[in-house]
Amino acid sequence: MAAIETTGLTKRFGDVRAVEELDLTVESGEVFGFLGPNGAGKSTTIDILLDFVRPTAGTAEVLGYDAQRSPTEIHQRVGILPEGYGLYDRLSGRKHVEFMIESKEVDDDPGRLLDLVGLDAEDAERAVGGYSKGMAQRLVLGMALVGDPDLLILDEPSTGLDPNGAREVRRIVRDLADGGTTVFFSSHVLGQVEAVCDRVGIMREGRLVAVDTIDGLRDSIGSGATIELEVDRVPDGVESLSIDGVSDLTAADGTIRATCLDPSAKLAVIDRVREEGAAIRDITTRESSLEDLFTAYTVDRQTEGVRA
Amino acid sequence: MSWRVVARKDFADAVRSRMLWGIVGLFALLMGVSALVPSLLDIGGATLGYNFAADLAQTLVPVTALVAAYLAIAGERESGSIKLLLGAPHSRLDVTVGKFVGRAGVVLVGVLAGFVVAGLVAVVAYGELAIGEFVSVTVLTAALGVTFVGIAVGISAATSTRSRAMALAIGVFFVFALLWDLVPFALTYLRTGGLDLGGTVPAWQVLVEQSNPSRAFSQLVDAALGSGAEMTAGGGGGGEGAANPFQSRIAGAEPFYLKDWFMLVILGAWTVLPVIAGHLRFRSADL
Repeated sequence: MAAIETTGLTKRFGDVRAVEELDLTVESGEVFGFLGPNGAGKSTTIDILLDFVRPTAGTAEVLGYDAQRSPTEIHQRVGILPEGYGLYDRLSGRKHVEFMIESKEVDDDPGRLLDLVGLDAEDAERAVGGYSKGMAQRLVLGMALVGDPDLLILDEPSTGLDPNGAREVRRIVRDLADGGTTVFFSSHVLGQVEAVCDRVGIMREGRLVAVDTIDGLRDSIGSGATIELEVDRVPDGVESLSIDGVSDLTAADGTIRATCLDPSAKLAVIDRVREEGAAIRDITTRESSLEDLFTAYTVDRQTEGVRA
Repeated sequence: MSWRVVARKDFADAVRSRMLWGIVGLFALLMGVSALVPSLLDIGGATLGYNFAADLAQTLVPVTALVAAYLAIAGERESGSIKLLLGAPHSRLDVTVGKFVGRAGVVLVGVLAGFVVAGLVAVVAYGELAIGEFVSVTVLTAALGVTFVGIAVGISAATSTRSRAMALAIGVFFVFALLWDLVPFALTYLRTGGLDLGGTVPAWQVLVEQSNPSRAFSQLVDAALGSGAEMTAGGGGGGEGAANPFQSRIAGAEPFYLKDWFMLVILGAWTVLPVIAGHLRFRSADL
């Protein structure tokens, strides 16, 4: 049984298409990173999984339950850190965790959970009105762990955390995943998911544009690399040159940059630029990173946005 | 039964509000003072004191209940805490019911506190509690409070922001507490084309006039306190409720829907129907 399965999931807010025909499967036991820039439809998708938002079309299943028909069964088995949550300012951190324990009818020790997410005992007794964003984030993560959930759904869990806190969240996620918990979490920063995810999905404009393992993504970049040529002058029309094995060619400020899909293309780029009559002063090459790939998927979106 | 967890947490959260205790304290003080008025003016006894207290409660309790409950759900939607509440295994129905019960509990505590003070004042000032009248007015005021909690929770369930909930709550208060005095004029004008309020009116017009929960409450209090609430030097024991308070206004026999017991139906309807209507909107809302 898949932990999460959506079929043709679509959500429109008026004319805005937040999620379009989303088919997404997250397997039991995996750590799945849900990536994309802000506004790509990640939070809307998560809100539908949790029945905070109703889909326009399509279905969503979580742990085998229909998200719209059986939300309480899902919430009983899922721990969540939603986007845009608020706390009960007058209640203490411990009371928040106790409320979740009572709601799920389990007998967890609130102190242990608070300790696990790094909220010290003194802070836990304070009203949460005075919490920093990072403390609030830890508290809600602690609430999410109540009842040893089968699935954790975390929407941008690193928001508001300093690098140390973000690293701790990754450690908690990894520990839980090792214990068999499925983790589904979203982020707009690839670096936060790269280290912990078994697979990632990349959203863009409400659509899933890529789903793969981290290794698979690396393979798809292949031996791809970027070559940068510093030249005395940029020949006219260099950007429209077509060179075998080169996927992208740009020129700016005396530098020609080409993305090469196979190593031999680098030499071809150098040859063609010289044929065009430019003298090369320096050559730099760089292996493509996942970050480049992520940027390729998402920068494109931003230029479209400018045009629209 | 998960609404119980919601109600308990909601109550626990509300009793931590200093503003709430301020309101309850002020309410209790005013109730004590109004119960003392007949003694100060030497115009009656404990029952008349309760009548004055009930008159005050007729305006104060709706305001208090609206203030205590209008943000019950809308406030959580605006702050986002609804995502933690509904993220726990509570259905939206559990939330609506739990919020209603929790806030009703808060208002009941306030009403009780007010009447405990009024009762103490009665014992000290008049040397009697007049237990029957005391209990009935307390219960009726509690019912009025719960009614307005129902209205407020209904408003709160139907709206997504603080400001909209507040606008509606203020609107409800204005209509019931202030504009309602215009209803007899409006109905008479629509019916006859004139503004002559004398003479008899159809029974249904009286029903519309009495369908304001505060009016219904007032009729019930009059029935419960009876002649004991009249201003007489000495005052004292209560009597049976007036047989037909509208005899002078309507032609013919009094229909069932103007009898005292039907006022309880009106209060009940104002309690339940807004909650249902609000919930139907909340149930299908995107948060």
